[in-house]
Amino acid sequence: MTFTSLNFLIFFPLLALCYFITPVKYRLYTLLAGNYFFYINVKPVYALLLAGITLCTYYFTRQIQKNDKESIKKIYLIINIILILLPLFFFKYFSKVNDFFFSALNSIHIRWPLPDIKLLLPIGISFYTFMSIGYIIDVYNEEIEAEENIGVVAAFTSFFPLLLSGPIERAKNMLPQFKQLKQPDYNSIFQAMKLILWGYFMKLVIADRIGIYVDIVFANSGHHTGRTLLLASILYPFQVYADLGGYSLIAIGTAGLLGFKVMLNFNRPFFATSIAELWRRWHISLITWLTDYVYTPLTFTFRKYKMRGIILALMITFIISGIWHGAALTFLVWGFIQGIYLSIEALTSKRRMQFEKKYNLRKKGWYIFLEIVVVFILFAASQVIGRAENMATAFNIYHRIFSVSGPLFIGDAPSILIYSIIGLLMLLIKDFTDEFAPSQMQFFNNKRKSVRIMAYATIAILILLIGVFDGGQFIYFKF
Amino acid sequence: MEKEEMVKKLTPIFRNVFGDETLEVTDELSALNVASWDSLSHMLLITEVENQFTIKFKLKDLNKMKNVGDMMAMINSKL
Amino acid sequence: MVLKKIFSNILLVFLVIFILDFAIGKTLRYFYFNETSGLHYRTTYSMDSTNAEILIFGSSRANHHYVPEIFEDSLHQSFYNTGRDGNGTFYQLALVKTILKRYTPKTIIFEYSSVFAKGVEEYDQMSSLLPYYKTHKEIRPLIELRSPYEKIKLLSEIYPFNSQALTIAVGNLEINKKRTADDKGYLALHQEWPYQLDSIADEKKIEVDTTKVRAFRECLSTAKNMGIKVYVVFSPIYRRYKTNQQVDICRQICHEQNIPFWDYSKDSFFLSHRNLFLDLLHLNNNGAVAFSKMIANKIKHYKTD
Repeated sequence: MTFTSLNFLIFFPLLALCYFITPVKYRLYTLLAGNYFFYINVKPVYALLLAGITLCTYYFTRQIQKNDKESIKKIYLIINIILILLPLFFFKYFSKVNDFFFSALNSIHIRWPLPDIKLLLPIGISFYTFMSIGYIIDVYNEEIEAEENIGVVAAFTSFFPLLLSGPIERAKNMLPQFKQLKQPDYNSIFQAMKLILWGYFMKLVIADRIGIYVDIVFANSGHHTGRTLLLASILYPFQVYADLGGYSLIAIGTAGLLGFKVMLNFNRPFFATSIAELWRRWHISLITWLTDYVYTPLTFTFRKYKMRGIILALMITFIISGIWHGAALTFLVWGFIQGIYLSIEALTSKRRMQFEKKYNLRKKGWYIFLEIVVVFILFAASQVIGRAENMATAFNIYHRIFSVSGPLFIGDAPSILIYSIIGLLMLLIKDFTDEFAPSQMQFFNNKRKSVRIMAYATIAILILLIGVFDGGQFIYFKF
Repeated sequence: MEKEEMVKKLTPIFRNVFGDETLEVTDELSALNVASWDSLSHMLLITEVENQFTIKFKLKDLNKMKNVGDMMAMINSKL
Repeated sequence: MVLKKIFSNILLVFLVIFILDFAIGKTLRYFYFNETSGLHYRTTYSMDSTNAEILIFGSSRANHHYVPEIFEDSLHQSFYNTGRDGNGTFYQLALVKTILKRYTPKTIIFEYSSVFAKGVEEYDQMSSLLPYYKTHKEIRPLIELRSPYEKIKLLSEIYPFNSQALTIAVGNLEINKKRTADDKGYLALHQEWPYQLDSIADEKKIEVDTTKVRAFRECLSTAKNMGIKVYVVFSPIYRRYKTNQQVDICRQICHEQNIPFWDYSKDSFFLSHRNLFLDLLHLNNNGAVAFSKMIANKIKHYKTD
């Protein structure tokens, strides 16, 4: 069940009720049962996989903790990571690798009857795999102690708000919270509700609405004008932000209602003034994970090569991030481009800083605005590759943006674009005030209760009015 | 090593890595209060410190250094 | 105490939501049924007002393919085209149910728009029927197929008009009548398809959704049992294919019920005239005129047989 299904709106209040009427001593187990019920609801077999990964993680972290010899610890660490990564690789990349070998053999006229396996990726697998790996490495690095209570570990790896699409939390933050369950206080309950409501708004009103337009345009990119493709390319990053960002807010909010503090996943990414800053604001939980467990060890290993070592580490990290998003050349190139962007920034950062200081640019509004726009354009351009089916399509989109004139495609439903823009404007205004004038225009935290109540109700009504509930909304694309 | 001596040795490294000629090295100084202290400059800093004091950090040590005070203690333990 | 405060606040928010939902929903409802042109208006008109003797049912392919005056001139019966973009069998059935409850037309043409494969799309498309849930009891079971929660969702007054506010506003404007002027439901498309004929691979074996098959059967039998002359037509497409399981299902159902099924999807005249198409799936006005003549003529002679 996803957060946007009605099943979830029934499941969650029931679970919360059960959770809070259970005596504190046994609450962890109510939660654990709820977690597994949630995941079994997706597909029962997947729950076994999750349980397997949990057992494995529990066993090996205990072994790492118990042993004193560094070499044995390392062996346990490696075995554990490999065991946990196996299912992810198998499900995510097996069919691709299979296809690759099949066509490779075929091209040299060998028809090897490889089994044609099309596996459905167990939803959420990369998230709990990453959470488990982070935990194991933290134990190995003596950042935290291996947990003795298997229930705590199981609750962590299967925690339902985070299970399907993150944030990818850390054991260091979560395990103590599972060991010492907290009652949410009045304030945190309303903060959580605000996040959930805003999350639904981002997901249903903005992301899914923009998605209708972006999907239809990119699905027929060869038939659309430059203007249309440009608009879709501009909208797409906002769709992703509203989609994953909205979903993350719902996750953080539901966890908050149960008394848990979960890390922020997006921090107004499009107000970043450099690509590096964007990546500190965009999918934060994934990027900090990669920073801690891939990038830092790599730069540390390469440190004697100084800048060159850092650039190499950057490239490897983002290529891994690209492949994580999907087993395709487009994602690889996407990761490569991020690496290039960041490397160029790293190489020029000193000179840029001196330049900015000389003319006092950091304090100038127009300069910051310019940076924000440039960063967005660079990012949106890279996202086109991530979104396209293959490299040829991506290049064709770039080509058409600059060469094919003609009217903007609106379809027979201008309302889809208009609703998108209404939602997007609200999001941008909210993010803008949060970024530059956090004490202005407070609706949810207004001093007056009536304004607060109206803020909640208005967002709910807007979701009802212009949210996308099912596939009944679409643009009829007649060429 | 005395604290004063260490601060003296660290100051030019910090100023050079973070491009700030007025930076004062204190115990509480950390990535939180230096704008240009990111994961990138952090590793450059580590390398410079290693060279200056001819010591070698371990990866594990990195996570334990939350501010300059921690770092100085770590350096001392390696000398 | 804290608990009480939390619940009273949540209750207050829900109360405000309830009042706003009621007020806004009722307003939308009023203006929805006050529309004088557009898709909404045509559905309402089809359900509640038309008394034409010939009716066309189906999707966009019905709406843009059957030209009123050609049928009227040839068959000397009044005509209305109820086809609506992006709607399929369920929409056909809903309209059949509401219209035949009011009166008995003489001739009905169902454009083959039938998707019998499993998939949620056809259920989702029924959002076009939600405004009629309250007032048209006969289509309620159909709408409830959308999901087990449909009844709960429909407690909201706004929900049936979700995403429709702008369209409703436009439908109330006088200019819209001229902008998308329809001719007894029919909307002409002008433009020619610029690309070559393409062929599609035969689709893999589909998983049949029996609910959809049953709905199509019900369309045919309901009309037939009332003594109406029923025809099922698969209008031209600009695409070559060999076989299609879903067309076969349709042909078989027509055969069972002794209803003529006229398949023009492989008609060589249309396949060789690109200028009659707007895109792969839609005839333009010239195409529609040519096609309507063929069908009207065929019905005329079928009658005299």
